[in-house]
Amino acid sequence: MKNTLRQVFHSSKFVGGFVIFMLLVLTMIIYPLINPGNPLEQIGVGTFAEPGTYVSLYDSLSSPTETMRLPGADEKRLVRSLTGEDRVAMVEWFTAAGVPVDDLDMTDTDAMLDLWFANYDVSAKPKGMTMAKRNYYQRLNNNLLDIRAGDTLIIADKNDETGELEEKKQVNKTDYVNIGEVANVKTLPLGTDNFGRDVLKQLVSACGTSIRIGLVAGIVATLIGLSLGLLAGYLGGIADDLIMFITNIFTVIPGFILLILITNSVGQEQRGATLVAVVIGLTSWTWTARSVRSQVISLRNRDHVNLSKLSGHSMVRIVLTDILPYIASYVVMAFILQVSSGILAEAQLSLLGLGPRTTTTATLGLMMNWAMLYSAHTNGSWWAYFPVILTITLISFSLNLMNTGLDQVFNPTLRD
Amino acid sequence: MKKKTIALLLALVMALSLLAGCGGNDNQTPSTPDTPATTDTPTTPDPTPDPEPAPEPEPTTPGGDLPRAETLYFAGQQWGTVNSWNVIGTNQNNAMAIAGTASGYRTLMFETLYMYNPLDGKLTGLLADGDYSWNADQTELTVKIKSAAKWSDGTPVTAGDVKRTFDIGVQIANGTGSTYGAYISEIVAQDDATCIIKAAVNDAGQPKNPLKLLDFLSGTPIAQTAWIDKVVERNGNDSVSILNDAGDDVVWSGPYTRYYADDQKVVFIRDDNYWGQDASMWGKLPVPKYIAHTIYADNPAGENALKAGEVDVCQQFIGNIQDLWLKDGLPISTFYQEAPYGVCLTMPTAWYNMNIPVLAENPALRKAIAMAVDYDSIIANAMTNQSPSFADVPRSLMNPTDGEQALYDHAAVKDLQWTGNDADGANALLDEAGLVDTDGDGIREWNGEKISLNACCPNGWTDWQASMEIVAAAGEKIGIEITTNYPEYSIYQTVFTDPAQTEYQIFMWSPEAASPSNPWQRVNQFLGKEYVGVSNNWSGNWGQYVNDEADELILKIPTTTDENELKDIYTRLTEIYLTEVPSFSLMYRPSVFHAVNESVWTNFPSGDDGRGIPPMDCTDGYGIAALYDLELVG
Repeated sequence: MKNTLRQVFHSSKFVGGFVIFMLLVLTMIIYPLINPGNPLEQIGVGTFAEPGTYVSLYDSLSSPTETMRLPGADEKRLVRSLTGEDRVAMVEWFTAAGVPVDDLDMTDTDAMLDLWFANYDVSAKPKGMTMAKRNYYQRLNNNLLDIRAGDTLIIADKNDETGELEEKKQVNKTDYVNIGEVANVKTLPLGTDNFGRDVLKQLVSACGTSIRIGLVAGIVATLIGLSLGLLAGYLGGIADDLIMFITNIFTVIPGFILLILITNSVGQEQRGATLVAVVIGLTSWTWTARSVRSQVISLRNRDHVNLSKLSGHSMVRIVLTDILPYIASYVVMAFILQVSSGILAEAQLSLLGLGPRTTTTATLGLMMNWAMLYSAHTNGSWWAYFPVILTITLISFSLNLMNTGLDQVFNPTLRD
Repeated sequence: MKKKTIALLLALVMALSLLAGCGGNDNQTPSTPDTPATTDTPTTPDPTPDPEPAPEPEPTTPGGDLPRAETLYFAGQQWGTVNSWNVIGTNQNNAMAIAGTASGYRTLMFETLYMYNPLDGKLTGLLADGDYSWNADQTELTVKIKSAAKWSDGTPVTAGDVKRTFDIGVQIANGTGSTYGAYISEIVAQDDATCIIKAAVNDAGQPKNPLKLLDFLSGTPIAQTAWIDKVVERNGNDSVSILNDAGDDVVWSGPYTRYYADDQKVVFIRDDNYWGQDASMWGKLPVPKYIAHTIYADNPAGENALKAGEVDVCQQFIGNIQDLWLKDGLPISTFYQEAPYGVCLTMPTAWYNMNIPVLAENPALRKAIAMAVDYDSIIANAMTNQSPSFADVPRSLMNPTDGEQALYDHAAVKDLQWTGNDADGANALLDEAGLVDTDGDGIREWNGEKISLNACCPNGWTDWQASMEIVAAAGEKIGIEITTNYPEYSIYQTVFTDPAQTEYQIFMWSPEAASPSNPWQRVNQFLGKEYVGVSNNWSGNWGQYVNDEADELILKIPTTTDENELKDIYTRLTEIYLTEVPSFSLMYRPSVFHAVNESVWTNFPSGDDGRGIPPMDCTDGYGIAALYDLELVG
């Protein structure tokens, strides 16, 4: 046993897969300790907040300020409100309004703004200009007004008694706040999803659920496949025919369609993560049964098995002590593949809207399902689905890598 | 060694194919903004998008390519192949020709007497000449027909056609017959140009519901007597065969007629002999020569086509629509530049099923759940803020238009209204009502059983699904177990219309939006007894709530003309509704809205242009006026 383990851990592929998998499991354990709380809590109102650090505007107003004169601050501010395209669009307006622009320097912001405020008219409808373009100029005009605003903003509060605005504070362009001084700062490394939930937190939780679903599905499938394969292979005769008959029936019915039909008929109210896992296990055992059976057939006429039979050992003992150990390595490899395909099956099911209930658990498939329903892929919200895909890929890649490593250790024809 | 080479090669092939896959996607995304970018700059002299424009136009054939500069493309209306052109039939699946209700009938091909404008609630004459007039006790409505109005075969539209359209509707029980048969006793053609619509009266001699007569004016497409006779004759006067007649020879009065239709697209062509170019109507023809609607697979497909400039007018709900112009810089705009972008007239509502004892017997439970729901979250999430909040427009029986809001006394019901996300208030209400958690599992009990409900809406209706998730989350905060359930629509529609169902406990459906008979119609849907126990109930009161006082008040409304009395009735009804909470609205939803892409066409109606044309897809009700003002870009 010790020797086998040493051999296994000498395989670089196995170790590679094992390390990746363990890293994922460690993250699942450690991250909730750092960032505790319900992963399904809707913290954001609205859909798909971008990844980044969010600073409370309200709190930062009451935080102590430092005055800093940073070089280039004004330019940065300007670029935010007035892009190169905007400048071109301004010139287009001047042209449409018949203002001579021959000697206008497009980089001279002040000159541009002077000319703009002298000539722009919100209600003007130049001939041939579309509504979309007019709306654009209105928004641009608002931005330009902001640029022209003074160096100081006044924060005012409404007096409850008189109903009048009272000046509370003045904010200068050179005022800076230390982010550590602000009471409420929230970092969302992967933003929020369509329900305003923290994607990273949900992803970690979902990753755990998906691995659990994979494990349960793998155990169920492997147990059923193993026992049927052992029985069929060892007993032979009518028992073999009967079991293979059933197995063949399940083989020809496409497993995934069976899965869809079962989960759909169970109904969403009963559909928890465990049930989905068991259903996946129940529909994916056939190939384990078939290959275990063929291995057992090749084993059952070996000398040591016959010797046990002659010694009068019971069938259970022969199967467990004389046959199972010889196919154990194979079963472990089959189990790993079952886990991997179980995780994928859950993702596929949930993507079709047949996964576990949304409000109770987070799973990788459900995350993708909601991202797809809210067209995250077309509106550029990559953080809602890409990390999920990456996680699924990593899990099944690590499992398959471990499997390949084991194969190289145990399969004599592949040994170097 | 060899193996390694092969493996390496395989890996290379895989990587390449992956890249190719990504590449395809990459090309798609930027191509979207690229396409209109060429037509984006209005100052450039010739941005005509069509590479083969006017000089020598190839003859257009039905089903062939259409000249882009003469075609207005639509999305969001037609799903699947057209079944029939039979305007007096049923199940036509012909959204561009035969669609709509009194709130805005689509008059491209078949015309109504009047066109409804939800912006001001006014009816503008189409086939009808001038205003309608009532007699003193509102039992007779007189409508004149325009002398210029002609059928496509050149014969004039007469009062007899109106009468015949109504009569055949009642005879074969089509949409017109079943909607208005109970409220209109008969239509009399006094002469060719004058028809009198007589209201059905109750025992006291009062009209049953004069508002429904107004709905008839703007909601019924008029068909030609001669053509109806032909259809009746060829079907041997059999109702079912008349309803299912293909109507290929149909006679129309509208500005467009069918040009081509298959499972890919539906195309209409302008009828250049259209009577409406007479000075008594529009005085000109509508601008686009062709109206085309490609049949898209689903909403995202239509949305992508709009982004690519392949669609000019799109009536689909598009989440975060402002990103299309703010982030993507596309020449797309909506009626209003700011949220809610369209006109919010309808209120998707969660109904409590009164067949469930715990809901029927505990108004406190109904109100508590409604109070705990985070509506701001629903509006931000499901509606991406394309809806006013319940703080802006306090909840009542009315839609957010000024006209309806003025119909009840806001101060009188102020204390009853709630804005949501009030778990403390809801918990207090439940504690007070004796609905408490006695066994410590965190879920409250009633009569010894824990309160467990489900919240349902059709699968795939994402904005509604998100709303139900938020309702379920509210349950968690107040110790009520609420689970979500999303059946397929085909199943959903049979269950929620069944008056005896106990399967769905909280479920969603929308009441009526706006029409001449609203808000009466909507109030009746919320509180009226008329629909209780009706099987296959598509009409209203889906939760089966019964309140006799409310019912009496509702019956009074149609015949009440005194404005103060009307306001009193509506205020009292609002009080009952907010106290009893038989249902609660989740959001205000734009029902009159469209998004337009100005790559080819421009001068679409907008909220600030002073024309008063509603954003009704340029085809419905008074919204069709937009078609006469369109201009080509550049």
